[in-house]
Amino acid sequence: MDPATLILSSLADGPKHGYALTKDIQGFADVRIAPGTMYEALARLERRGLIEPLESSDRRRPYRLTAEGALALRALLDSQRRIADVGLRRLASSTGTA
Amino acid sequence: MNTPERRARLLVRCYPPAWRARYGDEFVQLLVDEMAERPRSVSRTADVIRGGLMARLASAGLSGYTLDPQQQVRAGLGVLSIAITAFLAAGVAIWAQLTIGWQWSAPAASPTRTGMLVMSGAMLGFALLAILGAAPLVWTICREVAAGRGRGLVLPLLGVAVGGLTLVAGSIHFGHGWPGTGGHQWAGRDIVPVAVARFCWAGSLWITSYWAHPGALGSFPASEIGWMVVSPVALAAAVVGAAKTLRRLDVSSRVLRYESWLGLIAGSVMAVFLAGAGSWIVSGSPAPRGLFRVGAIDCVAIVVMAGALIVACRAAQRALAARPDRTVA
Repeated sequence: MDPATLILSSLADGPKHGYALTKDIQGFADVRIAPGTMYEALARLERRGLIEPLESSDRRRPYRLTAEGALALRALLDSQRRIADVGLRRLASSTGTA
Repeated sequence: MNTPERRARLLVRCYPPAWRARYGDEFVQLLVDEMAERPRSVSRTADVIRGGLMARLASAGLSGYTLDPQQQVRAGLGVLSIAITAFLAAGVAIWAQLTIGWQWSAPAASPTRTGMLVMSGAMLGFALLAILGAAPLVWTICREVAAGRGRGLVLPLLGVAVGGLTLVAGSIHFGHGWPGTGGHQWAGRDIVPVAVARFCWAGSLWITSYWAHPGALGSFPASEIGWMVVSPVALAAAVVGAAKTLRRLDVSSRVLRYESWLGLIAGSVMAVFLAGAGSWIVSGSPAPRGLFRVGAIDCVAIVVMAGALIVACRAAQRALAARPDRTVA
């Protein structure tokens, strides 16, 4: 799974900083994104305007989804759901199990 | 400062300064939090080093995911100028020894003659491209200085001036030391003017296999060994100064695009030069007195030139692909 999709999905329920993102993604996707990969994706998403940084009193700077990011995530997940639906339907018809 | 903090700060140094200024503190905190959970992780260290390398490539314009188009073009042109310089340093070293050899005796082997003609034509192409490329930049520098905005350009331009003048003055001075030029009766037989041949020979004197033979090097005059140490430093100062000037100069998108196209054309000229050098390396045969003999240093120079050509073409393509003129502010 693309780190960017995992990060956007994690931010869908509220702002999180880097380590909180790592733990949250590990919890719901069983994937641990390494720090270098995490910040590579965060920098790219920020540059595209899909997430934005928030002010922070310490070094743990949280990020939140922008309106554009929410739209992009919805489109991405809809597309993935359509693909998953097609795959599961074809698998069921070929093997005879749902 | 505790150990995880120190280790994290050390790892963050893999990233370029601009990246560290923006993400450094929060990234250090993430690493400290990670280290509290898993104190040692080879894969994490490898991932950070890889991420740092990618960020450095991006800041150099060789890979682009964090730079804006304008920055990408500037970074690409900076890398391009350094790659062309590396190519020319190695190329001039080969070309100069052949032109010097030709002062003594014209090469009998056809591949060597053809290679020399091709390389000499390519050198003319480089000179033309340098003039075409420098003209709008010099004009912009003059305009910036006249408008009182040239403060940030002082140091890089100082590097260009000191490095360039040292190189020119030293090459002229030491070029006269070559016995095959400098007014001897056999000088002037080559297709290349004597003054150019000895200047290039002296400027590339430091690219030699004598470094691997200290005994033989010890027989050189001390001033010549000193020049072999100083000249690459002067060259580096001039090139780094030029690259920094380019990055700081307020150049229009049109000029940047023009320079990117020139860079791509320079890539073609580099390929032509490399073909000429390859013709001599692969098929040329030595003449009497060991002239035009291919040495290990020449093979290394060919590899350096091939690498520089790949980097230059990649940098020029990325600079052209960025299209800052189409960016919506």
